[in-house]
Amino acid sequence: MKCQYACQTMDHVIARRTFLGGLVGFGSAMGLAGIASPLAASQLAAQQKHMLVIFLHGGVSQLETWDPKPKTDTGGPFRAISTSVPGIQISELLPHTAKQMHRMALIRSINTKENDHGKGRICMETGRREMPGFTYPHLGAVAAKLLTHESNPLPGFIRVGGGNGVNKKDAAYLGPQYASVTLGDGKPPANSLRPDSISALADAARNDFRRRVSDRFALRRRAAETEAYVQSYEQAQRLMERRDVFDISLESPSIQEKYGNHEFGRHCLLARRLIEHGVSFVQVGHSNYDTHYENFNFHIEQLGEFDATFAFLLQDLHDRGLLEKTLVVVMSEFGRTPKINERYGRDHWGSAWSIAMAGCGIQHGAVIGKTNDNGTQVVDREVHHGHLFHTYLRAVGLDPTESFTLNGRPMPVADPAVSAIKELLA
Amino acid sequence: MHPSLPSRSLLPASLACRRLSAPRIAWAAVALWLVAAASATAGEPLHVRIDQAISKALAGQPVAERSSDEEFVRRIYLDLVGRIPSLDEAQEFLHDGSENKRAALIDRLLESPEFARRMQHVFDVMLMERRSGNAVPEDEWRQYLYDSFTKNKPFNELAREILAADGVENRPPARFYLDRGGDPDILTRDVGRLFFGMDLQCAQCHDHPLIGDYHQPLYYGIYAFLNRSFVFTDESKKTFFAEKAEGEVAFKSVFDPSVDEKDFKPRLPGGAVVEEPTFAKDDAYIVAPAKNVRPVPKYSRRQKLAEVATDGTSRQFNRNIANRLWYVMMGRGLIHPLDLDHSDNPPSHPELLDMLAEEFAASGFDVKFLLRELALTETYQRSSLLPEGMTDEQAAPERYAVALLKPLSPEQLAMSMMEATGVLQRERNSQSAKIDKDPKLKDLLETDAKRQQLRAALVEQAVYAAVKGNIQQFIGMFGSAPGEPEQDFQATVHQALFFNNGGMLNGWLSAQAGSLVDRVQKQQEPQAAVETLYLAVLSRLPDDTERTEAVEYLTRDPSARTAAVQQMAWALLTSSEFRFNH
Repeated sequence: MKCQYACQTMDHVIARRTFLGGLVGFGSAMGLAGIASPLAASQLAAQQKHMLVIFLHGGVSQLETWDPKPKTDTGGPFRAISTSVPGIQISELLPHTAKQMHRMALIRSINTKENDHGKGRICMETGRREMPGFTYPHLGAVAAKLLTHESNPLPGFIRVGGGNGVNKKDAAYLGPQYASVTLGDGKPPANSLRPDSISALADAARNDFRRRVSDRFALRRRAAETEAYVQSYEQAQRLMERRDVFDISLESPSIQEKYGNHEFGRHCLLARRLIEHGVSFVQVGHSNYDTHYENFNFHIEQLGEFDATFAFLLQDLHDRGLLEKTLVVVMSEFGRTPKINERYGRDHWGSAWSIAMAGCGIQHGAVIGKTNDNGTQVVDREVHHGHLFHTYLRAVGLDPTESFTLNGRPMPVADPAVSAIKELLA
Repeated sequence: MHPSLPSRSLLPASLACRRLSAPRIAWAAVALWLVAAASATAGEPLHVRIDQAISKALAGQPVAERSSDEEFVRRIYLDLVGRIPSLDEAQEFLHDGSENKRAALIDRLLESPEFARRMQHVFDVMLMERRSGNAVPEDEWRQYLYDSFTKNKPFNELAREILAADGVENRPPARFYLDRGGDPDILTRDVGRLFFGMDLQCAQCHDHPLIGDYHQPLYYGIYAFLNRSFVFTDESKKTFFAEKAEGEVAFKSVFDPSVDEKDFKPRLPGGAVVEEPTFAKDDAYIVAPAKNVRPVPKYSRRQKLAEVATDGTSRQFNRNIANRLWYVMMGRGLIHPLDLDHSDNPPSHPELLDMLAEEFAASGFDVKFLLRELALTETYQRSSLLPEGMTDEQAAPERYAVALLKPLSPEQLAMSMMEATGVLQRERNSQSAKIDKDPKLKDLLETDAKRQQLRAALVEQAVYAAVKGNIQQFIGMFGSAPGEPEQDFQATVHQALFFNNGGMLNGWLSAQAGSLVDRVQKQQEPQAAVETLYLAVLSRLPDDTERTEAVEYLTRDPSARTAAVQQMAWALLTSSEFRFNH
C-alpha cells in the first residue's frame, strides 16, 4: 500500500536504527545548540557555517539559466556562453555569473514531480513532500537549531523581504525559538528599538531589577525553564546593541552600488552583513519568474537584475573569507516547461530542472546530472528535493541521518529514504 | 470603589511574618501514607483518595510543604479563571481568617463567568492547537465553547457534538473536522490523539516500529469510522461534513506481506467491532447523493463513533480526558506526553488514572466536579518551593512531591498583565457603567442574586470583547505554531523585545487614573507604595530584602518617582515569578 505520509514522518529506516541501538539525538559532533563546549565563543564563531538561500519565486526557467538548450525546439532565442570553468556553459542571460562558475556547482537533473507553487516550495524548503496536517521544519529552522551558538543574540533564521514578523510555522516542531524572522524591506526586527520614552539608563535599571526578582524566584525552584526565560531578555539586550547589523547604509557607497540600487541588491547586501555577523541562515527572495506569458522578455528583465548582484555577492563573500564557510543555494519551487506555449511563455515544470550552489562544502565547478538534448527529461543522476536537503546539510558539516527528538520520538532531520549527492561534496 | 490599601499592620500576623525561611520537609506525608496503606479508602471524597494514591507512591519520601495563602490564591485564580487575582481579590483572601477559605474560593471561582472563559481557552487550544481556518469562524467556535462551559455541559456531550458534527444545524462544533480539511487520515490521527490519548499516525502504514501496542488495526479501527466522511461544498461555497453509505477499509503493511485486511470494520481503541445495520444498496440513504446535494446515509459511522466513544464505556476515552484535566491543574499528565498512552509509557500512577477516569465518567463527565476535586487535593496545594535537601530524584515531576511550574498560556499572560496593570478593572468599570445605564438592562440592577449573576456574566462578556484584540496579540507572540501542541516552554528573543520595547506593555504602565502606576504612586508612604505594587503584580507582599530594595529604588530620585514605579512594575511583570504559575 502506498504510504501517504506516516512512513516519512517517522520512517522505519530510522526506527530500525533505533532498534539496533543507534544513537538518536545529537551528539557533540553535531550542532552547537545546547551543547557545552570548551571552545571560546570567538573560535566557535570562526568555525561557524552558514547558509544563504536565494529563492527565485515563481519558478525560474532552467533553460534560460543553468541548463540552456540552444538551437533545439525547446531552447528559445538565447545562446549558451562559456564560463570560468572550461566545458560548462550557461545561458547568455547570466554573463556575470558565468565568471563565478569556478566557485559554483550545478545540479541539472532534478525531478520533484511537483508542479504546484505551494507544494513545490515546501518540497524545496523542507526536503519533504507536503503532508496534509503535518509540517516539517524549513531548512532555515534546522540550520538555526543546529548551527547557531547560544551566545549569538541574532536570530538564527532570517528572511529578508516580505512582511515584518516572526513565522512560527517555519520552525514547526522545533519550536518558536527557531522560527524565521522576516525583515520587511530590510528593516531591523520588530521592537528592536528602545522607545524614546525609556532612556538607556532607565532600561538598564529596570532590567537589573527584573534580574534580581527572577534570580530570587529561581533560587528555590527547578530552573531550566526560568533560565530560558531570563536568557531571552539578555538576548534581547544584546540584539538591541547590535542593531547596526541590520543597517546597510553603514556600507560604503561603492559597495552599495555594486550590489545594485534595487531591492534585490539591497537585500543581498543585507544578507551578506547578516552572515558576516553570525546569522546561521538567511533567505533572500527575488520575484517573479512565473512566466506563463512572455517568458523570454521577463527572464531578460529579471535575470538582468539577478545576474550582476548575485555575481558580486559571490565575489564579495569570497573576498571577505565568508564563502568558504557559507553554502549559497539558488533555488525555485520548480523549473519551467521545455515546451514554449502559444503566448511565448513556459509553464510549471517539476520533472527536469536545475539549481545552482556555491561556496562551502561543495565541489566547485561540478555539474551533477544531465537532461536530454531538448531538456524534456532527466537522463543521468536523477535527484529530488530529498537528496538536495541531505546535500545542503552535509555541505555545512551536519549529519542529516540524525534525528531530532519530538515528545521522545525520533524525527529524522532529512528524509531517511534518500541520501546526499556524495560526488557533489568537497 | 477603592478599599484601603494594604499596610503591614492590617495583615494577619502570620502573613506579615512570613519570610523566605526554609520550609521544613513535611514528614507528615509519611504518617499519611501509613494510614492510607492501612485503611480501606472507599467512601472518602475523591480528593482524599487522590492524595492517598500520590502518597502511597511517594512511599514516605519528603514532599514540599503546603502552599502559602499567597501561592495558593495566585495559582487557583490562574487555573480556574485564567488570570491572577486583582489586588482587592488577593487582599480579601489573605485577610480572610476562616478555616475553609480555600474550598470556599474554589467554589466561588468555579461559579464565576470567568471560569467558562478559562475553559473556553483551555479547550480551544487543546482541540484546535492554534489552527487557523475559516470553515467555522473562530469567534463562533469560541462562543460555543464558552456557552458549553457556562452550562457546565458534560464533557462527553461536548465531545459527542464535536465528533458527530456535520455543520448543518449546530455549526460551531464542526470546526474540529472542517478546519482540518476533513482528510480522514488527519482526522484519525487527531481523534486518536485528542480523544483517546493515542498518537497512532505511525500505525497507518505498518505496526508502530517503536510502540508495541500501536498496531495497524488500532489505526484503521478509528479510520473506518471516518473514511466515509468528506467535506461537501454547497453552491454558495459553504462547507459541511457529509458521509457516504459505502466505502470499505482495506489495508496492508509495508513491512509484513501477511497483513492484507479487507472490509475492516470500525472499532474503538480497546473496544469490540461495532455492530452495524445493513441496508439494501438502493435503500441506504435518507438523502441520496446527487449533484450539489449533501448525502445523508441511513446509518452514519461517524454518528456511531460519537455515540460509542462518549457513552461512558470507553476506558480509553475516559482515561484521555481525565489525564488532560489532571495536566491542566498539575502541569504534567499522569501519562506524559498526553497522546502516548501505551504499555511502554505507563502512567506514573496507573491506579490513580483509572480511578479518575471512572469517577469522572460516574460524575456524568462533570468538568467542574473533577477540577474541584483536583484543586482540593494536598497534591495540588503543595508549594513549588523545593524543600532544602530535597534531591532531584525526590523532586522528579512525575512524583508530584513539589508543585510544578506551569508557564502561563498566552491568554493567561495577557489577562494577568491586564489585571495587574489595571486595564481589566478600567474595562470592568466602564462596561458595567454602560450596562447599568442601558434602559433595557435596568431590571438587571435589582439585587436579586440571579440577576446579579447575569449582570456579572454580561460584564465579563463585554470586558472580554473589549480586550480580545490584546489577547490575540499575545497568542501571536507566545502561542505555538498552527497545528503544534502548546506544551513545551520556549522563550524567544522576540517575546522579550515585545515586552522591552513594544507599545502594549509599556502603554499599560502609563500613569492614567485608575492604573496600577497611578494607584501606587499616589501612596505617599514608600513602604505602602511598595506593598501595593507587590500585591497587585505578584499577589504577595515583599519580603524584607525586597522591601528595602524597592523602597530604595522608589526614593532614589524624588523627581522621578513615577518613572521608578513604572520601572519596578515592568520588572515585576517581566520576572520569572510572573511568567510562571507556581
